[in-house]
Amino acid sequence: MRRNGTKLARVCLLAGAMGIFFWSAGRAPATAPPGGHEDPGREAAAPYQSEIGRRGGRLVAALRSEPKTLNPLFAADAPSREVIGLMQADLVHINRASQLTEPALASSWKVSPDGLQYTLELREGLRFSDGHPVDADDILFTFQVLLDESVHSPQRDLLIVGGKPIAIEKRGPRTLVFRLARPYGAEERLFDGLNILPRHLLETPYREGKLAQCWTLAVRAAEIAGLGPFRFKEFAAGERLVLERNPYYWKTDAAGNRLPYVDEVVFLFVPSADAQVLRFRAGETDMITRLSAENFSALARALPDAVMADAGPGLEYNFVFFNLNEPGEKTPAVQARRQKWFREVKFRQAVSAAVDREAIVRLVYQGRGAALWGLVTPGNPRWLDATLPRPARSLDRARELLRAAGFSWKTGSTGESQLLDADGTPVEFSLLTSASSLERTKMATLIQDDLKQLGMRVQLAPLEFRSLLDRVFQTKEYDACVLGLASFDADPNTDINVLLSSGAQHLWNPGQARPATPWEAEIDRLMEQQLAARSFQERKRLYDRVQEILAEYQPMIFLASPHILAGAKRSVGNFHPAVLEPYILWNADELFLRATGEKPAP
Amino acid sequence: MRPAPGGSPRHRVFVWLVALAVLHALVVFAGVISPYAPEEQDRDHAYAPPTRIHWIDSRGGFHPRPFIRPWLPLEGGLGEFAEDPAQQIPLRFLVAGAPYRLLGVIPCRLHLFATEGARISLLGTDGYGRDQFSRLLYGGQISLLAGWLAAALALLGGTIIGTAAGFLGGWADDALMRVAELFLALPWLYLLFALRAFLPLAVSPLQAFFLVVGVIGAVGWARPARLVRGVVLSAKERDFVRAARGFGASEGYLLRRHVLPETASVLLTQAAILVPQYILAEVTLSFLGLGVPEPAPSWGNLLASLQQYSVLASYWWMCLPAVIMVPFFLGYLGLASALQAWTGPVKIAGGGSGSAE
Amino acid sequence: MRYLLRRALHALLLLFGVSLLAFMFAAMAPGNYLDEMRLNPQIAPETISALRAQYGMDRPFPVRYLRWLGSVLRGEWGFSFAYNRPVASLLVVRARNTLLLAATATALAWLLALPLGVWSAERAGHWPDRLVSAGSAALLVIPELVLALGLLILAVRSGWFPAGGLESLGSGSLSAGRKIADLARHLTLPVAALVLSSIPLLIRHVRAAVAEVLGSGFLWAAEAHGISRRRLLWRHALPAAANPLISLFGFSLGGLLSGSLIVEVVMSWPGLGPLLLEAILTRDLYVVIGCVLLSTLFLVGGNLAADLLLYWADPRIRWEGPEP
Repeated sequence: MRRNGTKLARVCLLAGAMGIFFWSAGRAPATAPPGGHEDPGREAAAPYQSEIGRRGGRLVAALRSEPKTLNPLFAADAPSREVIGLMQADLVHINRASQLTEPALASSWKVSPDGLQYTLELREGLRFSDGHPVDADDILFTFQVLLDESVHSPQRDLLIVGGKPIAIEKRGPRTLVFRLARPYGAEERLFDGLNILPRHLLETPYREGKLAQCWTLAVRAAEIAGLGPFRFKEFAAGERLVLERNPYYWKTDAAGNRLPYVDEVVFLFVPSADAQVLRFRAGETDMITRLSAENFSALARALPDAVMADAGPGLEYNFVFFNLNEPGEKTPAVQARRQKWFREVKFRQAVSAAVDREAIVRLVYQGRGAALWGLVTPGNPRWLDATLPRPARSLDRARELLRAAGFSWKTGSTGESQLLDADGTPVEFSLLTSASSLERTKMATLIQDDLKQLGMRVQLAPLEFRSLLDRVFQTKEYDACVLGLASFDADPNTDINVLLSSGAQHLWNPGQARPATPWEAEIDRLMEQQLAARSFQERKRLYDRVQEILAEYQPMIFLASPHILAGAKRSVGNFHPAVLEPYILWNADELFLRATGEKPAP
Repeated sequence: MRPAPGGSPRHRVFVWLVALAVLHALVVFAGVISPYAPEEQDRDHAYAPPTRIHWIDSRGGFHPRPFIRPWLPLEGGLGEFAEDPAQQIPLRFLVAGAPYRLLGVIPCRLHLFATEGARISLLGTDGYGRDQFSRLLYGGQISLLAGWLAAALALLGGTIIGTAAGFLGGWADDALMRVAELFLALPWLYLLFALRAFLPLAVSPLQAFFLVVGVIGAVGWARPARLVRGVVLSAKERDFVRAARGFGASEGYLLRRHVLPETASVLLTQAAILVPQYILAEVTLSFLGLGVPEPAPSWGNLLASLQQYSVLASYWWMCLPAVIMVPFFLGYLGLASALQAWTGPVKIAGGGSGSAE
Repeated sequence: MRYLLRRALHALLLLFGVSLLAFMFAAMAPGNYLDEMRLNPQIAPETISALRAQYGMDRPFPVRYLRWLGSVLRGEWGFSFAYNRPVASLLVVRARNTLLLAATATALAWLLALPLGVWSAERAGHWPDRLVSAGSAALLVIPELVLALGLLILAVRSGWFPAGGLESLGSGSLSAGRKIADLARHLTLPVAALVLSSIPLLIRHVRAAVAEVLGSGFLWAAEAHGISRRRLLWRHALPAAANPLISLFGFSLGGLLSGSLIVEVVMSWPGLGPLLLEAILTRDLYVVIGCVLLSTLFLVGGNLAADLLLYWADPRIRWEGPEP
């Protein structure tokens, strides 16, 4: 894999991995959710205005598994990131509602005209949650640790831009300069999620090479500090994690009250989605997210008094892709023959034309989803290519395409029609899905039936998630696969390693030494250009072109994107789910609990 | 169908056998009895409740031939339907319909009942609008076969190894029983993951499923083996066996004539317990992605769909297949105890009885 | 005494065999813990190879196994990739919770299965017998997960029991008596689910064992002596049927961990179940092996306990030097 000098795609494979047994996995994060509750008009998106809240109280939420670590340098799993998100802060932050950047620990920043130098001004009077003051040296320390190769922080590669590590320099007690080797398209979004660490607590372990053993779940409250709204209080293995209000938090509300409002946030570990629903129903948790459409409607029926919010389509996109890898010596002959069909553009176009996306939205998401023809979902209006063609399902067109590619039909013994390739071999292939993702298995079942009408015989192969990944990335023994990806951010750079032919996540043929097809070469070129482009309009124009190429060559046949569905008790103030992760706790510092009997503001 | 309390054991076995035969006939002739192919989708009627059968029309007139009214989807959410009062679709019996293969071979189109113009689903439909009744019957074919296959393999292995251990005794017995303990303690979950990795995807998923079932059955020998060994041990020491040995009977003769027959009732009881257990094991297998893959139906995946809160809470008819499966399980258990009573009580020497799990 | 020593030696051998095989299977299962990182475009391949080396995943199988054995001897039981901590420290608290749940459930299941089994054996063919066998057949059909979920739904609708967890929030400030009551309330549902799912087979075995004894001559004789029916059943028939039941009891102790896995996950009981399940799915190798080993330990312990019971209950064994 080639290193991209970019904020590498922060894309997470939405594993159905988490959806442990049969309950479906969580969903992806989201974008600007609209203000409304109860099925808010997706377009309406009234800008989020927070209400002045009331101090005190305890907020209870559920996590589907324990966080594995509280150390932001090593956190890779979603529960850890979610908890750390409440305990730590970054220099510049992406507002989950507006999807735009806003000042965080840095009160302001300037970008030099050539786009290579960022000057950040640190906020005054910052203190860590243990009361220790923050200065520029903490920032220097943080980036030193992040960039240290012997630390092995997964975030290190974010800071390699244009093949070189970002250089940091202290210009004054509160002024820092970051130098990049090459302009970076997404600009200050780079800083989101890079948490500033307390030098006074971590420097000694760092010198001793023991950083990885710091801030595990065995940590004591005195040993851990951050700049987020909450700080660690206690952890009960397998049961819960309790955070308490950080009295030194730097943010205030419009009336000048110091945030956050609530005294404690409790995370209960509830490993199954259904159990999460039931605990919310029983009133044991205050908020719930990552709801499936079925559970969402079941809850809405059962709890007329709760606020059930549909934030609209998230950033998760589900798709089918075919195995377009170069057949090697060990590739079985059957698979090599099938791959010949898959490499035929018209074959993929025919499959795309035959897929009933509307049925997927209706049957898989109960209408709480959006049909997709490209990887940018309607949840990301800024980057959505509105001119992308959205052809309706057409079996006729699919048949035409297949005929043009040399396929033909014969009638089988019980009267069903069977598609044959140019050599007379029946078209038959397997479709992988993650066994633990109910939704994707359902999509695959619908696709199988759609393609049966074209005479293709598709066999479903639901596999446990790691086994599926192993086939797609290691052994490359598969025909086709249904998968979902959820971008962490709305910026196209998030998905860069899916799109670049050299990318490790270029699913259909990952890590190519040089582009296998002209259109992949063209996408590579466009993506590199947009990375260096300096204006949004220019980047958008280039990225739209990428989406058009994808729509034409169909390496990924896009299916649908689910809405972000969440719920809260009516007493939770400022509840405003976003379509970016963390859907409901992104504004944890502003969430508050109304006094009993108090009516929510209109 | 219940045997009379006072009926002779033989009589009871017979009654249970007949009951089970009737039940199995339903499954074997699924093609005739079910109105549709199990994988046929009706996307406009996902999660439709069971079709109601009417004899009386809206004006109070009685129809000797029952009729149905089609479900009209209501706005707002799946699973909300109302009957169309304007339509009356009569039920028709023994008509030609979707083609299928009877017993897997004979091409056939005859269906016990059908309706024209709207679909009839006696047990409602699932999330794809597929007829649950048809899926239940067809699913039985796969599940019962899998259950038998696995149970047969487990018992075969168990008998051979258990007999060997009990009959040979000494260090061979010791070694075999240690291996049995090992097999009981092993984490099979891992083996199954590994197994699927070795199977090429070119193997059709249904074949793969049967392979997995075969393996599960084959590694399930440990428990029956312990039981058989116990029986063999005690049979070996029975007076008539000692007597026969005293008269110079060969070991092979003893084994065949006196020892093995003693194990029959233990094996039968085990079979009756194992068959339902292996049928249900598929629920777990589907979690591992090793179950019967969609769209093929099986009892395991019919039950697995109940494992969601929303289904249990919103679509009660999805539970009906489980209710209908109970008689099958009851039949096996009943047959087992009747057989046990008939063949006479078994002496189980010291050793571990049974499959606790 | 020699007998017990031999059993202990067997147990040790068994543990060794299981650990070796578990290790092999784990090596055979597709994918490893770092796979997910491989997918994460933030992480460079070099970082991953460095981690591989750090975790010792690049070492050959025997080396890894020996290292792991060493760490077992040190009491660490290997190292969890995900948690960055020794496995033993993860297992201890959770094993305690699992034992609490499973032991309560096992005790209760046996307390119910014994009378029900004896009762239906005595009334073989009559309606109590049929009722019990129909009920247990129905319970057999319901997968454990559906059972647990159904109970949860019931609990939530009625509001009688908490919908999961081990203690209420803020229970730390309660008095000891209140704490125990709180724990009992939280135990009720998972215990009920476990009991309901394990009891059908227990009843069947008790029934079979007692029915067998009931047909034997000494009981006819006893009855002819005018010993009351109840006394006959409980004082004579049940002890005579005890041997296979004691072995079964040993087994059911062994099945504790695997049996409670699903219930723990659904009821969010902070035991080994959720930990193991996640470890399997993320291929957190040593956590999985640790759990497997622990469950083998339970099995061995159960069998050993059963042996001791038999030794105590059945004088024949004491001098025959038995083979259970």
